[in-house]
Amino acid sequence: MIAYVNDMPFEIEPGETMLEFLRRTAADAPVPTMCQDDRLENFGSCRVCSVEVAREEKGETRTMASCHTPVFSGARIYPHTDRMKRLRRNILELVLTDYPAEKVFPSEGKKPTEFQKTIQEIGLPNVRYPQGDNHLDTALDTSHPYIKSDLSQCINCYRCVRACEEIQGEMVLNMSGRGFATSIIKGFDTDFDQSACVSCGACVQTCPTDALHDKFETKTLNPDSTVRTTCTYCGVGCQLEVSLIDGEIRGIQAPVTAEVNEGHTCLKGRFAFRFYDHPDRLREPLIKRNGNFEVATWDEAYDYITERLLKVKEKYGADAIGCISSSRATNEENYLMQKMTRVALNTNNIDGCARVCHAPTAYGMQKSFGTGAATNSIQDLKETDCIFLFGANPTEAHPVTGARIKQLFMQGITSIVVDPVRTTLAELATYHLQLRPGTNVALLNMMAYYIVKEKLVNKEFITKFTEHFEEFKSHVLSLDMNELELLTGVSKELVREAALAYARADNSMEFHGLGVTEHFQGSKTVMLLSNLAMMTGNVGRSGTGLNPLRGQNNVQGAADMGVQPHQGAGYMDVNDLAVQDYYADKYGIPAMPEREGLKIPEMLEAAIAGKFKALWIMGEDTLMTDPNTLHIRKAMEQLDLMVVQELFMSATAEMADVVLPASSYFEKNGTFTNGERRVQRVNKVIEPIGNTKPDGQIIIDMMYRLGYEQPTGKVYDAPAILAEIAEVIPFMRGITWERLGKNGLQWPVEEDGTDTQIIHRDGNFKRGKGRFHHFDFEETPELLEHREKYPFILTTARQLEHYNAGTMTRRTDNQQISPMDYLEVNPLDAADKGISAHDKVRIFSDRGSVEIPVKLNYLVKPGVVRTTFHQPEVFINMITGNVGDQYTMTPEYKVVAVDFEKV
Amino acid sequence: MANRSTRSLSARKELEDNLFENISKLAVADADENEFQKLSRRYLIDDSVVYGTASFYDFTREDERKKKIRICNGTACMVAGTQERVQQWAQGSFSKEEIGHVACVGHCHSNSAILFKDNTYSPGSEEELKRIVESETNLSQNALSYEVGANTEPVLTATVSDPVSFFKQAESVRKDGQRVIQELKASGLRGRGGAGFPFWFKIDAVAKEKSDQKYVVCNADEGDPGAFSDMYLLEHQPLKVLYGMYASGICTGATRGVLYIRGEYPNSIRAIEETISLLEEQRLLEDFKFKVIRGQGSYICGEETALLSSIEGLRPEVRVRPPYPAQYGLFGKPTLLSNVETFANLHWIIDKGGKQYAALGTKSSAGTKLVSFDGFFNRPGLYELEMGTSLQEAVYEIGKGFNAEIKALQIGGPLGGIVPINKIEELTLDFESFDSAGFLLGHASFVSIPQSFPMIRYLEHLLKFTADESCGKCYPCRIGSHRGYEMLKKSQQQNFKIDRQLFDDLIETLELGSLCALGGGIPLPLKNALNYFGEELNEYFKS
Repeated sequence: MIAYVNDMPFEIEPGETMLEFLRRTAADAPVPTMCQDDRLENFGSCRVCSVEVAREEKGETRTMASCHTPVFSGARIYPHTDRMKRLRRNILELVLTDYPAEKVFPSEGKKPTEFQKTIQEIGLPNVRYPQGDNHLDTALDTSHPYIKSDLSQCINCYRCVRACEEIQGEMVLNMSGRGFATSIIKGFDTDFDQSACVSCGACVQTCPTDALHDKFETKTLNPDSTVRTTCTYCGVGCQLEVSLIDGEIRGIQAPVTAEVNEGHTCLKGRFAFRFYDHPDRLREPLIKRNGNFEVATWDEAYDYITERLLKVKEKYGADAIGCISSSRATNEENYLMQKMTRVALNTNNIDGCARVCHAPTAYGMQKSFGTGAATNSIQDLKETDCIFLFGANPTEAHPVTGARIKQLFMQGITSIVVDPVRTTLAELATYHLQLRPGTNVALLNMMAYYIVKEKLVNKEFITKFTEHFEEFKSHVLSLDMNELELLTGVSKELVREAALAYARADNSMEFHGLGVTEHFQGSKTVMLLSNLAMMTGNVGRSGTGLNPLRGQNNVQGAADMGVQPHQGAGYMDVNDLAVQDYYADKYGIPAMPEREGLKIPEMLEAAIAGKFKALWIMGEDTLMTDPNTLHIRKAMEQLDLMVVQELFMSATAEMADVVLPASSYFEKNGTFTNGERRVQRVNKVIEPIGNTKPDGQIIIDMMYRLGYEQPTGKVYDAPAILAEIAEVIPFMRGITWERLGKNGLQWPVEEDGTDTQIIHRDGNFKRGKGRFHHFDFEETPELLEHREKYPFILTTARQLEHYNAGTMTRRTDNQQISPMDYLEVNPLDAADKGISAHDKVRIFSDRGSVEIPVKLNYLVKPGVVRTTFHQPEVFINMITGNVGDQYTMTPEYKVVAVDFEKV
Repeated sequence: MANRSTRSLSARKELEDNLFENISKLAVADADENEFQKLSRRYLIDDSVVYGTASFYDFTREDERKKKIRICNGTACMVAGTQERVQQWAQGSFSKEEIGHVACVGHCHSNSAILFKDNTYSPGSEEELKRIVESETNLSQNALSYEVGANTEPVLTATVSDPVSFFKQAESVRKDGQRVIQELKASGLRGRGGAGFPFWFKIDAVAKEKSDQKYVVCNADEGDPGAFSDMYLLEHQPLKVLYGMYASGICTGATRGVLYIRGEYPNSIRAIEETISLLEEQRLLEDFKFKVIRGQGSYICGEETALLSSIEGLRPEVRVRPPYPAQYGLFGKPTLLSNVETFANLHWIIDKGGKQYAALGTKSSAGTKLVSFDGFFNRPGLYELEMGTSLQEAVYEIGKGFNAEIKALQIGGPLGGIVPINKIEELTLDFESFDSAGFLLGHASFVSIPQSFPMIRYLEHLLKFTADESCGKCYPCRIGSHRGYEMLKKSQQQNFKIDRQLFDDLIETLELGSLCALGGGIPLPLKNALNYFGEELNEYFKS
């Protein structure tokens, strides 16, 4: 099919609008636009993209808005006739009758706004209209710490309104009134601060003027340079574009070319960056002498550490030393950390923060499928027909993915949420199975039972590609649904309906979070989720699979790099002699440590037992984030040496003998691997702050001190280390720094650089056949032992505004938006205890007690309370317990037996 | 399509627990913010949606909720010059804050129109107004208060006496819906809402869509001041309208019929609701349910996509096309949307056959057309005329000429052409005649402009109407109509002359640039006036 631009023929691409067609074929003479944002649905309000169109050569033309008119075969488009130029100028003239004259040109030193550019493109018209009504005196809204509005500059293009709904899945912005009186409102015509705004900044980014702007004035910055990098917050892995002026980070935008985030990000990625030069940043190495930290040189610190480490090694053996690596650091740094531990310290005592989050995912999925990583990609959301969200709250914890899921939920996709809390997504879902915390296994057994009973299993898939289904089947059929109904607190009819919906959809996609893993039966739950996918054939193709929403930016990568005591880089079993030889060969040493290492909780136990003497922690606030604070403190106090690499003086760093000031992700190169196995580049934006060093540099320095010469040299060189990683890890073979480019690659990456969006494709499971496991529900020891005395169940969660221990986000204006942790209590429980809104309570468990303000709501069922742990003032882990997942020891943060009383 | 998520959330409660009705109820009851917020929480939407919608309509806007009596400011009442008097009378019973305006209640035949306690009246004196206001009961009557006649086979105006036998026809439709669509094609029936789009094409398109849910929507938002033909049909021929929708539902597979009736026609709403109850009681509807949605005062809701958004509780802003309602209509489902008069034709066509209908009227404008004559006619009222009837006959024989000196007629509503009185003899009542002469048949409402009424004030009124009723979405209409109005007003009040070039540019911008027929249509009467009444208008312009 052919259409014509100024009588020149061009091929039409299916589904194209005239604007898209013109941009492709006549890019040198672009049609101006004002209300167009390619990420949003066609809208057609500004009309300046109008073009003249005839149906035949020299035929009569009609004026059509190119942005929403499909190009048709034989169309003769004349984009820049005198009439169209006049139309555009006349529309612009009308717009300028209600736009501040002083904003026609960019302010001194500022980049022009998109609208200011459009004015130049169309040509600044002389405004001939007499002065009339206008909106020039509309009041500013500066109520929000980041997002400001000056609606005198609003040109009513609706882009913010549309972005709010179509990008973020919120509807905070809308228009009010009609005709000339229409104007943007927030919520019930309130200000940003009082509205339900989630501060994502999508409206600011799309606004073509400064009517919506952020406190950093990001859009109109005239940066010396911009650097694209990968966000350091959650596992979504947003690409960010960082603007620099005079070596200072001045603002962050989300690039539209980003495959992961498509021009969007959340308030953490976009706004929460000022931690990087916060006065609290550690800038010099510190050595604790007589209980006080003293500033030291790097050499002094390194010497101190080396001497102590060697002493411990000599006296107690290498296995008395252990390291905790960080899912916040780059792949290269994690790789180096495990390598130093194994190669220079000669122990497998290396573990990471995956231990406290997704270790059960890695373990369980390896058991079921052979690979401990998401089977599919976020893009698959476009292909799926049913979303099964289990124990995850992505609108808070993974905001960009959460926003996508939320929109699908709102638009009516079949959706199932399993969560003890009525989260935003649970509220929107087709089915919300609000189970009692700790009964995940029982609930999944129920679902499997009904799928089997209703004969909705995919026999062909099961027979061809899996094993041990029959055992699983007879196990679930032996279960008593009435008993499980009672146990989970979810009506079996509802479970049945949800199970059937999952099984009947053409493509069902599972997502899970820490509500699955942070349980006594965490790994088992992961395996049962795998069963559900396998028994219905929902794995190995688009829009299906098992997709863990990884918490930290690089938790996937840290595990890939071998940050775990039982597997080395690339998940090879360290107990296997052939594997030991493989690593020894790759690392150029005679032999690898032989014994499997200790997990974090085991290290701590060993320390208390006096068998474990030196702990090196990179970028983790173990004391604040691991459960049972007093227990950890006791362990740390027993150590001969504790080294902490940190950005800030965290609670853990306070306990250390040596604190090494690390550079933040803005200050170094490397790669992060997001929750969909996508390895993306982290590009250095600025030089390290103060006397800090990148974690990778610190480790290399220490490797040399400990007698190992890292082959890539004395300087931390991320691309070179990545090349070494590609050499060691088979599934990363084809990865190079250059090939990662702007949007990274999803492993496995073949030698030629081909990456993989979906793994276990078409039944080709990594482990050969997919394996069914079967389990009975077991009550957690936490409840068995303590529920008599502590009858409430505490479950923990995240706030959108904060990231984990809040180390970074508390040092930004996010703290203003959300200044505290609180305990969510069902009003019925509150009434029983005489607690009213805004009261403070003391919450206590077998381990300890803390005080915390309450928030009364019906999102939690009676008997269940929920809180977050971002603020050290509360230190909720004083009360969490030591029960962990049966296989991985991942702490059970989601089920804590507690009671509480009004203070 | 914008607002997919909001629309989908509204669709969850669809028509039974309808968002728009709920917003309207709260607004009309002047409920507090809390109540609105409860509503938005119940729909899982943000408060901004509820606020944005409530702030749009004449009857739900915050500043309008306290009005007790509303005086018509429609075109016919304006040119009749009755409304200043009515305003004064009203001030005898109400404070200024309690007196509001309403944009035409369909009393163009008798003028002096008011809307009071959900009833419309045309009081002839202050005493009569007082009686209305003080009466405990509804004094308005549903009986015809205007002439009704026909110059041909009465397709639309013939009386239906027995609903049972009338609805019996549905059996044949059920047997062969395709045949009915073919008959409609043969009939040449074109949409009567103004655009004249072939009706069979729409019904066929919806029939072909595959969907678990389809809708038939009747556009009964007859907002054109001067027009009351839909009002007539709703109040006096409700069976024809409802049957037309029902038969369309059978042909397309739609099981829900929605009538969007403007709130300015309370009697129409009551008449239709009563008839629906009757049909339900007599079990004349098989697998089909009607729903009446009351408009809340907005002309733009007569635009089909705005109307759909209005039913959904969203702001009635005009949507881009494609997608068309036949594919993505009400709640995003395939929707057959047409005007009251169009639907009212269906029974006759199915009964007598498409050919017979095509034999009425002209080749490309088949059938009959309802016309409405305002109070300046000697025989004001509502007439069914065969398409192609000469305008001369219509005005002077059927309408019996005028009771005052008339210089022009505006035919087809505020976006219709201004026809100088000497042009009448050149026109016949059909789409083509009007088009080729540079006018518009539209909804065929006739508003007479007396010699004494200044054309500049008339144009000011038209632009004010456009500016007031613009949804505010597209720039030409949102800003342009308002600037145009400001200039016309200023030219009469101050020593200010309008730059003619600028005015021509504005007209062109509105015509070429507007998203819908409101901004795009208003240039027609402006151009007609400048063309035919240039001499009268000259003093307000500088060239």
